[in-house]
Amino acid sequence: MNDLSPDFPAMAGTDRRPISGAGALPGHAVSLALTALVTLLGKVLFERGNIANVGLLYLLPVMVAATRYGLRTGVVTSLVSSLAYNFFFIPPTHTLTIEDPQNIITVLVLLGVAIAGSQLASRLRDQALLAQASSTQNSLLANFARQLTGISALDELAEVLCTETARLLDCDTVLLLPSGTDLVVRASSPPGCRLDMLDVTAARWALDHAEPAGRGSDVLTECEWLFRPLGTGGKVLAIFGMARSDARPPVTPDQMPLLISLLDQAGLALERITLEQDMAALEHVRERDRLRHALLSSVSHDLRTPLTTVLGTLGDMRALSVEQEQQLATARNEAERLHRFVDNLLDMVRIEAGALHQGIEPVDLSEAVASAIHDLRGILDGRTVDIAIPPDLPLVMVDPQLFHHCLINLIENAAKYGGSAAAITIAADSDVTGARLSIMDEGPGIPAGEEVRIFETFARIEGSDRKGGTGLGLAIVKGFAEAMGIMVSAVNRPEGTGACFTLNVPASRLRELSAQ
Amino acid sequence: MSRQITILVVDDEPAIRRLLHNSLARAHYRIIEAGSARETMTALQIDKPELVLLDLGLPDRDGLELVPVLKGAGASVIVVSARDATDQKVAALDLGADDYVSKPFDTEEVLARIRTALRHKLANETDTPRLMRGDVEIDLIARQVRKAGTDVHLTPKEYAFLAELAKCAGRVVTHAALLRSVWGPGHDGDVEYLRVAARGIRRKLENDPSRPTLIRNEPGVGYRLIGNS
Repeated sequence: MNDLSPDFPAMAGTDRRPISGAGALPGHAVSLALTALVTLLGKVLFERGNIANVGLLYLLPVMVAATRYGLRTGVVTSLVSSLAYNFFFIPPTHTLTIEDPQNIITVLVLLGVAIAGSQLASRLRDQALLAQASSTQNSLLANFARQLTGISALDELAEVLCTETARLLDCDTVLLLPSGTDLVVRASSPPGCRLDMLDVTAARWALDHAEPAGRGSDVLTECEWLFRPLGTGGKVLAIFGMARSDARPPVTPDQMPLLISLLDQAGLALERITLEQDMAALEHVRERDRLRHALLSSVSHDLRTPLTTVLGTLGDMRALSVEQEQQLATARNEAERLHRFVDNLLDMVRIEAGALHQGIEPVDLSEAVASAIHDLRGILDGRTVDIAIPPDLPLVMVDPQLFHHCLINLIENAAKYGGSAAAITIAADSDVTGARLSIMDEGPGIPAGEEVRIFETFARIEGSDRKGGTGLGLAIVKGFAEAMGIMVSAVNRPEGTGACFTLNVPASRLRELSAQ
Repeated sequence: MSRQITILVVDDEPAIRRLLHNSLARAHYRIIEAGSARETMTALQIDKPELVLLDLGLPDRDGLELVPVLKGAGASVIVVSARDATDQKVAALDLGADDYVSKPFDTEEVLARIRTALRHKLANETDTPRLMRGDVEIDLIARQVRKAGTDVHLTPKEYAFLAELAKCAGRVVTHAALLRSVWGPGHDGDVEYLRVAARGIRRKLENDPSRPTLIRNEPGVGYRLIGNS
């Protein structure tokens, strides 16, 4: 309990008076000088008149020595004082013998005062030291906390934490942050710290177990570094490492409370900064979503309205000559193409924004196909469409509107790439693994190796880019289908030529028909 | 036509109003235009239109709020809405709108919807107790359905489903409305009942159930008995 003085070698700047053992020599000198002075004073008084209690004068140097310089100096001073009193004042003077037993009491009292005084003083000194140590620590922590408060960037925090701790504890420091599955050195003091395999293993252990690892801890003690987890509430946000170039443990037990407090402060700051960054990222995403939404509704309105007018007007116009008939047909086709393109673009934006609103309900595949064919009657005019859907197929749980657009795009695609008059076959079946709906054309099929790429945005099969497609139709099918848990695949038909696009509805999305 | 029928075209886009104005005027309707909810209310009181073509995106008020007001004033309402606004269409229909058309619209389709809506408005349901669709005859009084002259046995729910569509022939009937009138309250979400009934009706009445000519499914909205025209 006596030596609580935290030994901060780097704290030389702080004002610390030499109040303990370090002051023994000057203490003795001062005490002896005081004793000599008292002796001289006593001598003068003694010779002027016969003052009996000169001995009391020696209490002064003994008290001063005991309270100010500790027990040892106090005892030495009391002994010297007794000797001096004996020698100069107790008859027979100038000898060290005591005739009167009463004078023995004087010597013993001086000794007792020295011991009691020094005990009292030493307790006071201990308390003063303790108070000073804790006030030093508090001011260090307060200073550190103040530095951390102003920091809003992770790099700055890492830098300050490393340099400040290195300065306070006089050791090398490093801060590691988890990045994906790795731990990355974010800052160190001195800069440019490199860790070997063993160090990284210890750091990782500290991260995984949220407990200290390395030298001076309980595990992986052969590692040069001591790694401590940094974070709050059991969540490790970073790993802080300390090491010394000499082989001593990087942190002495008496430094531990300070270190823990420092790391707690840093953990709080780190959490705050992480939260701030998360909030900023969230705000950024929100802002982007708002922009996207604004763009979406603006484009939706601003492009569709004129297109509606153009399409409607063209639809109303009646040609007066064969030439005009052709011109009108061209204008209508192009306007419709533009309209489909705008619709596709908007659908794509909705998919990429994750903004597909879904109202899941049971859908009859047969009905859904019929509706799609009805909506495409203009494009399919005169074309053979074979439908082979069993009448007792289970219902599928999907968003009817999204599913409708999948079918529209797939059938349109079959019409576009399948050859001008070729038949389109739509077939469905189901078993315990799910239901499949296939749309087959009689076109050139899909080039080998393109079966996946064909669903990418703006992908178009080589050599077919004059068919007026936008390269978005199949990507939209994939986006819509996957949003509903449906897998879409493309293969070449095993029999004959042509491509086969299949919507694979998993069994979990099937609903067997129950009695009403 | 003894008296010219008045149609109010509500859209905030003058170009669309002009387009509809021209198409409808050619069909001998009297046309009034409104660009906002305020103008709509004024026109409703002054001109007393028989039918309103209502675009739901208005600058001063949600178009949906106007549907009950217009219906309350005795006008038929056909909602004009974006292709992908299924929820909006259903909401408008459930608020009493007679039908909807999606933008971009085909003016022929708009005219057909207008004719259907006006026919229902001017005639009582009992005026058309029997409907013929191809070789299928629906007799709403005898509660019988015949195909090529032969009685077809429908289950009670199938008949009720078909009769409900027949009463609104040519107009869309929402899932919710069908479920309420055929199955009663408390079945609003049971769309699969409708799927089963529709499948049964098609199997019994269609020549090729995969190419229905009697009942059309409007994805996410409802069913429609395909019109004569």
